[in-house]
Amino acid sequence: MQQRLPLPLALTVPKVEGQRNEDSFQCSRKGAYALSDGASVSFDSASWSRILVRRFAQRPAFTTEWLSEAIADFSKLYDRETLPWMQQAAFDKGSFASLLGVQVLDQGRLIQVLAIGDSLAVLVDGDRIKASFPYTVASQFDQRPQLLCTNPAENKFLEEIDYNYEISADWTFRGIENPGLLCVTDALGQWLLSWSNPERSAISILRSLRTPKAFSRFVQAERSSGRMKRDDTTLLAVW
Amino acid sequence: MDEKTESGRSKAQFVADVLNKTLYTLVTNCSKADGVRNYFDVGVIAYGGSDVGSGFGGALSGGIIHSIGAISEKPLRVEERAKKVDDGAGGIIEQKTKFPIWFDPTSSGGTPMRAALTKTLEVVADWCDAHRASYPPTVLHVTDGQSTDGGPEEVAGGLHQISTDDGSCLLFNLHVTAGDGREIVFPVSDSTLADEYSRMLFRISSPLPGHLAKFAGDKGYSLTEGSRGFIFNGDPKCIVDFFEIGTRPKMVADR
Repeated sequence: MQQRLPLPLALTVPKVEGQRNEDSFQCSRKGAYALSDGASVSFDSASWSRILVRRFAQRPAFTTEWLSEAIADFSKLYDRETLPWMQQAAFDKGSFASLLGVQVLDQGRLIQVLAIGDSLAVLVDGDRIKASFPYTVASQFDQRPQLLCTNPAENKFLEEIDYNYEISADWTFRGIENPGLLCVTDALGQWLLSWSNPERSAISILRSLRTPKAFSRFVQAERSSGRMKRDDTTLLAVW
Repeated sequence: MDEKTESGRSKAQFVADVLNKTLYTLVTNCSKADGVRNYFDVGVIAYGGSDVGSGFGGALSGGIIHSIGAISEKPLRVEERAKKVDDGAGGIIEQKTKFPIWFDPTSSGGTPMRAALTKTLEVVADWCDAHRASYPPTVLHVTDGQSTDGGPEEVAGGLHQISTDDGSCLLFNLHVTAGDGREIVFPVSDSTLADEYSRMLFRISSPLPGHLAKFAGDKGYSLTEGSRGFIFNGDPKCIVDFFEIGTRPKMVADR
């Protein structure tokens, strides 16, 4: 019998209130969780990120063909020939988004993480971070991330990497007393890895956020304090 | 600007091509599915003969500075060009692409550089008054000859003093040539410059701020602390890079 897992808690806040949120997420009860952060400076990253997460939740097996099909889905959204020149140029340049996909298999005995770009998966034990992927220190968020693009020419970097090592990690809940799993977009990921207050752990703060309002208040406060970058901000949490 | 480059195009043609491509890139970077975001204003001043005025033609000719949205909507014309693109399956296909033209090449004798920079100073000062919170203007000055209406140093000094709340106006200078003269790129001192004209252009050029110095470094240029935004005897590649570096926004978000 196939496992049916609880859906994670999903909380998100746009960069600017009232503006379109270009983060997307999708989760299945079969334990496939996907999060994607659409890049602001591109044609239609919100639609692109939505396509990526829907496909991953339905079919969590990232391959070259998988990506080609996703690009084909995106291309169907627009009639390139009828676009005004500036939109045609932006369409051709491409829309960019990260993809973080997690599969929880066999009741957590195996957790497969796929990460392209700067969205972060975090394995926790109680209030401690056990592992994070693809980054482990906050300064890595200052690099320019390589993102999936609707323009195939921008995805050439995938030809030069080993999917099994460079964009994948295998974790397990086994042996962890109080396991949890987080998927976060870059602003929250950088905040999490740069947290240094010894009196309260960042994980315990996130664990206390249970409603959209509480998450929104937390994000606004951290932005105001300068500790969190102003960006679309999303948390998926399996506690 | 009538001299020919190695490709057979005149310098004026080459500069017009680069300017068209620069605006194309700026507009493209501001274009999303729901329209063009007015992230930038762009002004163009042309000078030659004894004339100084808007470098834009057609519907934009009535002003010097326009929003990127207005610029996107009013090129002189939109041409259809063919370009080769990746088909996503390992092959290359030819695709028709719309390409806007804002500038056609023109050239004439005379280099009223002082008058042109004076006009620039007026326009930039007005813009800064109206946009106090914005990133300060970057002036990209392209010339192929010596000033014929007096020294521009004093006016350039005035430009450096104009500021928004985010910093002072930047002035970068590009001297273009079709000849074989040795190119000098982003120098840190005037010791390698051969004459007073090039030394003057060095003096009026702003140091490259950190984000632009990094971008220039990423393009393969060797820079040190204090390198100026100045290229002398620039070849066609330098012209392209000068505009790419000079129009690089401070915040490039995530893409």
